[in-house]
Amino acid sequence: MIPLVLQLASLVGILIYFAVIFCLLKRQFLLLKYTLMWIFSGLVMAIVVIFPGLLEKFSELVGISTPSNALFAALIFIILLILMSLTSIISGLSTTNIKLIQSVALLEKRVRDLENTQTVAKQQKIV
Amino acid sequence: MNSQQCKVLVIIPAHNEEQNVSSVINNLRRKVPEADYVIVNDCSSDKTGEVCRKNGYNYIDLPVNLGIGGGVQAGYQYALKNGYDIAIQHDGDGQHDPAFIMDLVTPIIDDKADIVIGSRFVTGEGYQSSGIRRLGINFLSSLIKFCCGVNIKDVTSGYRLVNRKFIQIYASEYAQDYPEPEAIISAAMYGARILEMPVVMHERTYGTSSISALKTIYYMIKVSMAILIYRPTFARRYL
Repeated sequence: MIPLVLQLASLVGILIYFAVIFCLLKRQFLLLKYTLMWIFSGLVMAIVVIFPGLLEKFSELVGISTPSNALFAALIFIILLILMSLTSIISGLSTTNIKLIQSVALLEKRVRDLENTQTVAKQQKIV
Repeated sequence: MNSQQCKVLVIIPAHNEEQNVSSVINNLRRKVPEADYVIVNDCSSDKTGEVCRKNGYNYIDLPVNLGIGGGVQAGYQYALKNGYDIAIQHDGDGQHDPAFIMDLVTPIIDDKADIVIGSRFVTGEGYQSSGIRRLGINFLSSLIKFCCGVNIKDVTSGYRLVNRKFIQIYASEYAQDYPEPEAIISAAMYGARILEMPVVMHERTYGTSSISALKTIYYMIKVSMAILIYRPTFARRYL
């Protein structure tokens, strides 16, 4: 069993964690769809802190002798998942970014061509 | 479809080619006057853009450097929007000779191929690249053959002609970093008839290649991985 003080401290930590997410969301510094994974991992942390027995069962299940190591392993796994989802978000952004750059360039070319034909037409009128 | 009705666009990607671009365009106008062209100035830091503007060339100015893949893709989007039937990729560094365009374009006009690749290694004439690079190209070629069954010798050649169907495909999706070998696989996955025809290439006249010695190793690893991963992650689509 983990000491009660540690359990309380962890709970406070998780509360701060949720408060930060809530603040960022409220100020619209985060999009909700990208926050869901952070909220999910916060919930997992809360469950582990409130029911520490689960962690011991989990470490027995996967064959890790000390529960704290199991905790680290699980944490690293979750962080990897979050990083992967960040990479996928960046990939999407970079694709849309390339498409945007290309369409801006094509539009710029069209505007330039139109301006050229207009100036030619004007010059012909003057002549 | 005959050659008179065909609208042909030559896409010339150019990044820092101020010394080469004029001779490339003059060469092109002299040898293939019936083809339109568009230069894609990939945010050059030298005077490539200025040269294009002063001479009144037809050019697209990318506001951000996208690399060869994104630049060529912008050219394909231009070809798509302006209703071209055939698009030709033709490097802006003077390596490619426009004199071959008339030969290369025939199989596409006759509808015998969807994509034609101008290859240095069919007859082995002209600039052949260094020994180590050829080794790398051979390796990539066998890898592509292993992964999707198409037999192309010069997989890194940037001298390519594609028909309307693949203008459409490439306009919407095109490999970004070092796209030549990957574009072959994606074409193969779309069921393209790919033909390799002999061309003679020259060594570039001025400036340095976009792929330096150190980058070559990175290039090989990256492209090999991309080729290996492409097949299993691509759900075969038919158009």
